[in-house]
Formats: sequence, C-alpha cells, structure tokens
Amino acid sequence: MSSTTAQSGLSRARRGVAPGGSGTGAGKRKSKLSAQTTRTFFWLLLPSVVLLVLIHGYPLIYAAVQATHDGNLLQTGNFVGGENFATVLTSPAFWKAAQFTLWFTIVGVFGSWLVGLGLALLLRTRIPGAGTFKVLLLLPWVVPIVVSSTAWNWLVATPDSLIPSLFRNLGMGTPLFLADPNLASITVMVFKVWVSFPFMMMMISAALASVDTTVYEAASMDGASRWQQFTQITLPLIARSTYISWILMTIFCVNDFPTIYLLTGGGPVNATTSLVVLAYRTVFQDFATGPGVAIAFLMTMTLVVISVILYRQIRKSSVE
Amino acid sequence: MNATPEQRRSFSRRGFLGLTAAAASVPLLAACGGGSASQGGGGGTGGTVKFWDMPWATPAYNDAAKGIAEGFSGANGAKASYQIIQWNNFYQTFSSAIASKTGPAVSTGGGFQAFQFEQQGQIAYADKVIEKLKSNGQFDDFLPGVLDPFKSDKGYVAVPWQLDMRVFWYRKSLFEKANVALPTDWPSLLEAGKALKKVGAFGFTTGAGAGNNYANHSMIMMMVNNGGGVFNKDGELDLLNDRNVEAMEFVLELVSNGIVDPAAVSYTTDNMSAQWKDGKAGYGLFQVNVPQRVGDTSGDLLVADPIKGPHGDKATIVFPNNIMMYTNTPSQEASEEFLVYYLGQLKQLWQKKLMSALPVFKSITEIPEFADDPNNVKIVKDWQPIAKTFAAQGSKLNANLAALDGGQALNQFSQTIITGKADAKTALQTFQSGLESVLKK
Repeated sequence: MSSTTAQSGLSRARRGVAPGGSGTGAGKRKSKLSAQTTRTFFWLLLPSVVLLVLIHGYPLIYAAVQATHDGNLLQTGNFVGGENFATVLTSPAFWKAAQFTLWFTIVGVFGSWLVGLGLALLLRTRIPGAGTFKVLLLLPWVVPIVVSSTAWNWLVATPDSLIPSLFRNLGMGTPLFLADPNLASITVMVFKVWVSFPFMMMMISAALASVDTTVYEAASMDGASRWQQFTQITLPLIARSTYISWILMTIFCVNDFPTIYLLTGGGPVNATTSLVVLAYRTVFQDFATGPGVAIAFLMTMTLVVISVILYRQIRKSSVE
Repeated sequence: MNATPEQRRSFSRRGFLGLTAAAASVPLLAACGGGSASQGGGGGTGGTVKFWDMPWATPAYNDAAKGIAEGFSGANGAKASYQIIQWNNFYQTFSSAIASKTGPAVSTGGGFQAFQFEQQGQIAYADKVIEKLKSNGQFDDFLPGVLDPFKSDKGYVAVPWQLDMRVFWYRKSLFEKANVALPTDWPSLLEAGKALKKVGAFGFTTGAGAGNNYANHSMIMMMVNNGGGVFNKDGELDLLNDRNVEAMEFVLELVSNGIVDPAAVSYTTDNMSAQWKDGKAGYGLFQVNVPQRVGDTSGDLLVADPIKGPHGDKATIVFPNNIMMYTNTPSQEASEEFLVYYLGQLKQLWQKKLMSALPVFKSITEIPEFADDPNNVKIVKDWQPIAKTFAAQGSKLNANLAALDGGQALNQFSQTIITGKADAKTALQTFQSGLESVLKK
C-alpha cells in the first residue's frame, strides 16, 4: 500500500467513510447505518433509562412536590409555592448551618487533599515497607464510619479520654473537644480530613503513576529545583485528577451526614450542624417535611453550580 | 439522523408502544408489590397480623417478644408475624410503610407515634380491646393513671404496655466518701453536688450528645418537679411561667458550681453509662435498671428519694410506651385479638428480666423477678405515683408532644442550659419560639 493510499484510508476513516465506497454513496450508507445504530442504541438503553427515571427521577419529582407543599411524610398537604424556601432562607439556623457547611467543606476538601498529596508523594519515594504503609493509610477510609466515630468519641469525649488526658499531662489544660463549640467544629473537621485523606491519596497516586519520570530528569538537567519541579510539572500534570477529586470531595463533604451526626449530633448548641444534618432534623425530628426537603434542594443546586465550575476548570486544564 | 418519514412513523409507534408498556408496568409492579407485601393471607380468614416492635432492650428481649408474637393463634386461624424496626429513622420507616399499605397491623413505637398517625387517620381505636380487658380482668390490673392519657375524644388511641420512667439514682459509696446526706429538696441537692465535686464526682449527671435525650428529660423533669411544664392545663405552650424560670435558674446554678460535668453537653448515653460505672456520677436522672445497664451489680447504685421543689411540689416524668393498631389490617378483629393476647403475655418479659422499664400491670410488679429488686419496688412505690407525662399540667397526650420530644428546639435548649450559655429567661424564650414554629405546622 502506498503512502498516498494509507493517508487516504486514514482520512476516510476519520470521516467515517467505508473503504472503496464513493463519497456520496458511502454517505448514504453511513446515514442508514447510523439510523439503525441509533435505534439499536435506543432499545438497548431504554431499560436503563426507564430504571433511571424510576429510581432517580421519581424521588426527585416527589421531593420537588414535597418542597412546594405543606404536610408531612405520610400526607402531602396544600401547595404553598416557594413558602418553604422562604421559611428556610429567612431562618438564622439555615445560614448558621450553611456557614458551618462551607468551612467544613473547605477544610475537608483542601485538608484531605494536602495530606493525601503529601503522602502520595512520600509513597512515590522508595521507602521500606511501602506496601504495608499504603494499606495502613487506607484504614480510615475502609473502616465503617460508625466504628471510627465511636473510636474518636472514646479518644476525645470526656475529660478522662486519652487525648484530653494527654493535654492535661503536658500542662496544657483539659480541652473539651466535643463540648466547646469552637473545638467541636475543629474536631469534626479534623475527623473529616482523617477519614478522607486516603481517598485523595489514592486519586493522586494514580495520577502520579501516569507521569513520565523522564520529564523530571529533563527538568533536572535544565536546572529546575525540586520546588520548581513540583509546581511546574507535578501539579499541572495532576491537575485534572485534582479537579475531579475536588468535585467528588466537595459532594462528599456537603452531603456528609454520618461523620457529623455520629460524633456530635450537630451540637453543642448547633455549632456543628451542617445543612444535611439540619435537613434531617427538620424532616425527622421536627416533622416539617417541606422546609427540610427545601434545604436539600438548595444544597443540590449549590452542588450543581460548584460541580459545573470545577468541570470547566477540568476542560481548561485539558486544553492547556 | 436522516430517518425517512416511514422510519420515523415506525419508530414513533414502537417507541410509543414501548413507553406505554413501561408506563403501564409501573402501577402494575407497584400493585403487585403493594398487594403481596400488604397484610397477607396466611392462616385462615383471620390472616397474618403484622406486629412491628422496637429494640426496647437487648437482643434477648426481641427474641422473647418474637416468641410471644408468633405463639399467637387466633380465631379463624389468625396468626402473627414479628418484625424488629430500628430506632434510626423509625418515623420515616413507619410513614413510608403506612403510605404504601405495607405497614404493620399492630406495633409498638415512639411514645407519641400513635397520636401522630391518628391525625392522619391511620390508627384503629382500641375501645374494643379495652372492653375485652375489662371482661378478662386486666383492665383493673393497670397501675393508676396509665391508661387515661390515651383516651381521646374518639376513643383509645393506643394501649400502654410499659412505663419508661426517669428517676434519680445515686452511688452510695460516693455520698459516704463526700460525707453528705442524700438530697431531699433543691437546696440539699445543691449542697450534695458541692460535696460530691470535692470527691471528684458530679451531682447532676446528664448528657446531651448525639442521640442522647437525658439532658432534655432532666430539664423537663426539673420544670415539672417545680409545678411547671412545657404546656399548661389546656395544652397550650407555657414555657415562660415563673416555675419554669425558677427551675432553670436552679439548673444554671448547678452548672455554675461545676455540679454538672462541663463536657456533658457532648455525652452520648454510653459516655453517661461509663460515668456511672466509673464512679464519676454521684447523682442524676436516669432510666429504670441502671445497674444492669451500666454493668455494675455491686449494690452501690441505688434509686434515690424523690426531691421536693421550693414550693413543695414533687414530680418526675414518664413515657407511657404503648401498642397501637392501624387501620390497614387483614382483620380488625384479629388485630384486637392479638393485642389482648400480647398484653396477657407481657409478664414473661419481666420474668425473664429483659425489660428496662416498669410494667403497667400491678400483677407484674408483684412477681418475684421484679419485686425482689428493691430499686424496682422503690420506683413503683415512690416515683410512679408522682410521675407525669410530657403533657405535665395537662392529662391528655397528643401529637404536639412528638415535636417536643427529641425535637431540635428542646435539644438546643437543654444544651444551652447545661453549657450555661444563656440566662434562664432568654433560653426559655428561644425554646418557646422554636417550639411555636414547629407546632404551627
């Protein structure tokens, strides 16, 4: 096959034209084939689409109905339009929870990312027992949250717990990690970072594994320092993975119910009440279904906006 | 896609038929699910009565309760099935099941659940059960006052089966070590608390952490103990009355004197139990059977005497847990028959020492397995007669009490008080506003 023929073939392949076919005739066949293929895809996809509509669509529609009606879980009441949203948005408890959620998410995402990044870089170096070390580092992510929250409760809840005792013995007083509103907020955030960093570490490790090491050798030969290599090579090359992990971790943090509820229940005096905890309490403790679901809707909308912004960043980083 | 008009018609028709079939299958499947999962046949024409029960105590309790339920054999071949429902999201579990007609025919549940579902028209009144209990002698066996709160204008909403009471407990050895007498009133409680503090113990043990309602109960108990309460005699919110303010000012005094553990705001029930077990708790409100709960049967943990408020009032709070019947049943007669049967078998649960609550029947309080425990005897003799429900000044229970019990407003209030973050009036005002906004719905 001559190079001209080969190029012609590649060109045709790119255009989706069958070999040997004339332009117009092939175009017709392509169109027919495409229609058949589309129909086949449609029928193959239909069961999944129906299931998705039933599983995701129906609850979403039902939730929208609940958010715009009064009533309770058992009986949807009268249509109240945006009243539930107005109730929620004018409630100081909502804004306090939103503020905590924001901080919880910022610390959760960037804290776990920084720890994960540091450990992923460390694990890239040749250290003895790296495999075992990696497995141990995964434990916080693997252990069920109910177990780890109970363990943390044992560690910090009472003045005689291990960590407060340690502080006392070091002459630093007896901090009440879950009883003081500020300390409880910090404790919950630290717990979230501890639970989440293995996920980040694995995401970053996977991204780092795909980076060609010769790039570093070249940079080194050009006189780039370690810091320059990190900021100019490593971070840009793992940028896509980073944005994806930020999107996922943002969703995990905003929607994180068990971490907070099991450790503090949202207290003391609502200091650690996030939006999802507030939504839960509103629906299941105050039996106010409409406002509770309205909170959930507002959270979803916020997450969609954040996800779209971060996806744009991913596309930008791909183009670059 | 360049489909011909014929193809489009063909596609459209097929698509329409397919979608129609899919759409039609939805209610069909739902109907199948609903029908089969609903109160099924089984047995004879009496059907199978679905009984849902909560984990009221250890797993051994549920095993025993299951045995009792499944031992039911009613007229027309009626049988009963048993299912445990976890406390987590229990209201949602019941609501969704009832809405889809897959709920129970008879159940235990939250203390005010029957009143919540009565509002939705889902509860079958128990008047005929009460009539049967009158005829078999069990009606006269009820402890005084336990049945009355369940009588609404339309009939008995549920039937009580156990009393979850809050009483003061104390550790005898700590009082001896502190060389202080057991409190009999509020001033002596304050003195005892100060003395206990000197020996490293707390004189008002409580907790308001995740899933822990004991601080909530302690606050309401202190109000009721002073002749106050959340509602007035007419069932209207009345949080800012003088008695409540006085009671909360007293609790704040306990807090400021370090008689309440500063970390208590975050304590789970397990943290509280550990305090009782480890000798950090000198005195405080707890449930029945504390020694068994915390695993200390040394005889050092004892029920204290009721204390008198500054105006001479004596009271505590009780949750009359109940069994309710639902309108969705294979046979109302079978539900009633089952409920009468189950109430008649309750004795077994106390005989096997599986309960952390008081019985509602006098005859059970007299069985040796119950009466041999002096703590039980003291609770029945001294505390049960002064026990009031969350309705406090009122005598009837209602759905509003569910919004109070375990709701955000009460939890925030009790956390505010035991951290000493606000004065009594401000905290009560916030509590009142929070509760008003919930009760409006």
